[in-house]
Amino acid sequence: MRTGVFFCQVEHAVNLNIDAIAKYSANLPDVETVQILGRRPRLDAIALSDLIKTNNLNRIVIAGDMPGYYKPVFTKSMALAGRDTDEVRLASFQEHGARGDIALERAKAIVACANMAVPFSLVAVPSRHPVNQTTLIIGGGIAGIQASLEIANAGKQVYLVEQTGTIGGHMAMFDKTFPTLDCAACILTPKMVSVGQHDMIQLMTNARVTEVSGKSGAYRVKIHQYARRVDVKSCVACGLCAEVCPVKVESEFDAKISLRKAIYIPFPQAVPNAYLVDGESCTYVLSEGQKCGACLKRCPKECINLNESDIYTDIEVGNIIISTGYEMLDVRKIEQYGYGRYPNVLTSLEFERLTNASGLTGGRIVTKSKRFNKKTQQDEWVFTPDSVPPQSVAIIHCVGSRSAKYNSYCSRVCCMYSLKFAHLIKEKIPNVACYEFYIDMRAFGKGYEEFAERIKQEGTFVIRGHSASVDMVDGQMIVKGEDIMNDKIVEVKVDMVVLAVGLIPSHGTEDISRLLGITRDPDGWFSELNYNGNPTDTERGGIYVAGMCQGPKDIPDTVAQASAVAAGVLRSITSGKGIDHLSSISLSEIEARAKNISTL
Amino acid sequence: MAIRVNPRFIDELDRYGAEDVQLCYHCGDCLTVCPHADEVFRFPRKSMRLLQMGLERKIETTLEPWLCYYCGQCSEQCPREADPGETMMSLRRWLIARYDFTGIARAFYRSRTAEVLAIIGVALLTGLFMLFYGFTYGNLHVYDGEGAFLPSSFIHRFDLTVGLVIGIILIINAFRMWYFTMVKGMEIHTPWWLYIKHLYLLPWHFFSQKRYAECESKRETRVFMPWFTHLGLMLGYVIMLVLVMVFIEKLQYGPAIVWPVHIFGYLASIGLIIGTIYFIRSRLNKTYVQFKKSHGTDWVFVILLFFIVITGITQHLLHRTGLYMWANMTYVLHLMFVVPWLLRMPFSKWAHMIYRPLAMYFAAIRRDALYRAEKQFSSASITVK
Repeated sequence: MRTGVFFCQVEHAVNLNIDAIAKYSANLPDVETVQILGRRPRLDAIALSDLIKTNNLNRIVIAGDMPGYYKPVFTKSMALAGRDTDEVRLASFQEHGARGDIALERAKAIVACANMAVPFSLVAVPSRHPVNQTTLIIGGGIAGIQASLEIANAGKQVYLVEQTGTIGGHMAMFDKTFPTLDCAACILTPKMVSVGQHDMIQLMTNARVTEVSGKSGAYRVKIHQYARRVDVKSCVACGLCAEVCPVKVESEFDAKISLRKAIYIPFPQAVPNAYLVDGESCTYVLSEGQKCGACLKRCPKECINLNESDIYTDIEVGNIIISTGYEMLDVRKIEQYGYGRYPNVLTSLEFERLTNASGLTGGRIVTKSKRFNKKTQQDEWVFTPDSVPPQSVAIIHCVGSRSAKYNSYCSRVCCMYSLKFAHLIKEKIPNVACYEFYIDMRAFGKGYEEFAERIKQEGTFVIRGHSASVDMVDGQMIVKGEDIMNDKIVEVKVDMVVLAVGLIPSHGTEDISRLLGITRDPDGWFSELNYNGNPTDTERGGIYVAGMCQGPKDIPDTVAQASAVAAGVLRSITSGKGIDHLSSISLSEIEARAKNISTL
Repeated sequence: MAIRVNPRFIDELDRYGAEDVQLCYHCGDCLTVCPHADEVFRFPRKSMRLLQMGLERKIETTLEPWLCYYCGQCSEQCPREADPGETMMSLRRWLIARYDFTGIARAFYRSRTAEVLAIIGVALLTGLFMLFYGFTYGNLHVYDGEGAFLPSSFIHRFDLTVGLVIGIILIINAFRMWYFTMVKGMEIHTPWWLYIKHLYLLPWHFFSQKRYAECESKRETRVFMPWFTHLGLMLGYVIMLVLVMVFIEKLQYGPAIVWPVHIFGYLASIGLIIGTIYFIRSRLNKTYVQFKKSHGTDWVFVILLFFIVITGITQHLLHRTGLYMWANMTYVLHLMFVVPWLLRMPFSKWAHMIYRPLAMYFAAIRRDALYRAEKQFSSASITVK
């Protein structure tokens, strides 16, 4: 087989040295010509067919990040030259994980396999070795909960490490889920409780993974568990301690729209259902035992120990699942929406907490009202249960998403939750005017398009046209936008603006990627092994990704991915054999195997 | 009416400076922040759309590009970095080329070499003609009066000839603009008296450039310097034009200073010199959004103007100091810059001096006509009592 290798469009693989790969592929057997066509060339099938004829090629290898893009033109040129059109082989660097430290070697192997017409995934299988039976799950959101339950229900030991005081993650903050409008807590809390009660799940809240060592299948992990200062077993969450606690700080669980005490429980259904002390704001802890201590006297069960110290645990696990989730883009950066300047401009997460039946207003959607703060001697805007509901609300999509300045990607869930907001507003406030400003409506899932249609029929003004300005004129917020479909300018007076803010990887993602040696894509999400074929594995053996930390996705997709990860983990545990790191298989090994197969 | 689509239009506009139009995904952010867009004239998104669709024949009937003064807020805002502000600018360049019946503007915009060669050619011709005239009929050592190298009466006749040529070209182009925008582009009846009703807008926009200042109305930190300098430049230019076309005999009189005439000349020179330095510096530093991308023709304009002002002032000073021979030589040099610059006017960005006030005028008429038509056809607006 006389082969021609063509390099086309290597965009993402920034640290790939194309010249080196080209030089390597020139020395491969049967390779007649190697051509670097550069980035996005306009290829001419006739010229290519001439090239094929002059070199008398009968196999073509297209190498690059998206070689499939060029396959039609090469197939055409092969047909023009009168050759077998099936002999156009693709060597996709992106698809087969040519990135990170091993990128160059792997890219060479991919080209070599394509040259011998051997499927890469058939030969590039790392060696197998025994695995430890236990699993570590980092992140206790819905993905972590689902995966841990799947594995634990199969009878295998799971360590679930969560950074905050409770598991549940972002889903616990939501009121309803789209498109079914089910109560999110009704789905999540039973799962949380079974995690808390499960014999095979060891829950470590308020904890972080600080060190990972060892080899694939037997990782040694050091976990730093911050002092909770309340005994989880004896605390009954009566709340008397919080009543006497004098310190008030913003509640992270309530998206900082309400206040909590320094000794607190994130929300009443938290798992473990026990209070915890925030060491960064507690007077007693900060003064090293000199001041306060009111909760110690009040607690009837005597389960508070403010002098408790942090715990370091060493565990050995066979598989690690990363499900660290996401956080919101800092919308203060995007000045034109007036977030932080105007009181009633909310982020989607704040609105989610406001409309939640267990939130601070009991689910009533209200505007903030002015209150005089005696401590700071300043007026401040806060939600109070007796505030007035808004008469008109604008919801602006794509805030910070699909933008060259902030996130270039689509955050995927915003369209749907914005529509859900519109429904909740319409449901809870009579005669409210609700405006949705969108660019493109991305209702991609099962039942989503119908949901969008339903919201339109409910009387929400769904306006195709993004708004980039929220102005305040005489205390009245004005949102201006272009209604592209109806060809006019829309200027609406609103009492509340909800921003559908884009999502970014959570702040610990970088640490985790460094600890575990997992590469991240340019946007910061964890890279999976193969987007289509292997969306849960990573290039490190026995390390998996689940949920948002791999890329924005909605709850159904997250749960599905978490279950898929559990299947992968259980496969390796029950077979007793785990897959090694991809880097463990060398180029010469792949070459030898490919040769074996191709001579068959 | 059949709609003709030119699929290559977007590539054509690429040569006029609009490089990123394809990126636009029509979110409408640009219109939201634009201080000039309103119910009737909605831009820049709509213009971007027309461009993407290749509706060349539709774009030539629009007035929107002329209503944009390029404050650049749309380009700052654009989430796709499609640069709507620069697109509007490029559309103005294209429209200038489209209005121009000679086709010279099109050649200049598309090829910098053609433009530079034409300028050098005209400059050399002018220089040779002046030298020929001077050496044949005058004395190099006399600047003014009897036997002058370039007598003011001759210059006056020459000026008027050049002015006539430019005027005819501009009138024809302005007529074409009117035909495209007000005849081809109007599907509703325009009563003739609307043209009289809004006639005051022509001098008003010409001398105040109010809309340029309005560009800043939505910004948090307002920058009025470009508007102010632009106004100074324009007024300086108009004063100078009047002086040269009408009072050239007085202007060239000397060595005594004729204050009633020369004082205007000095003021205009100050305006021109500050203006040109400001614009050259801004284009170099790229401080303000609208200066970030400079088309080749923009550079030619400011640089030529700068040299005109410098040589003009120099010959004036040389004349006062009695170095008549040098004054005459500088005068020839001055004319070598002035004539190509003047002749280039109808074919360059400079023509917006005429088109912009006309566009405001037409826009007001169009808006009025639309409102009238709306009133006639919408039953909802009929009030009985």
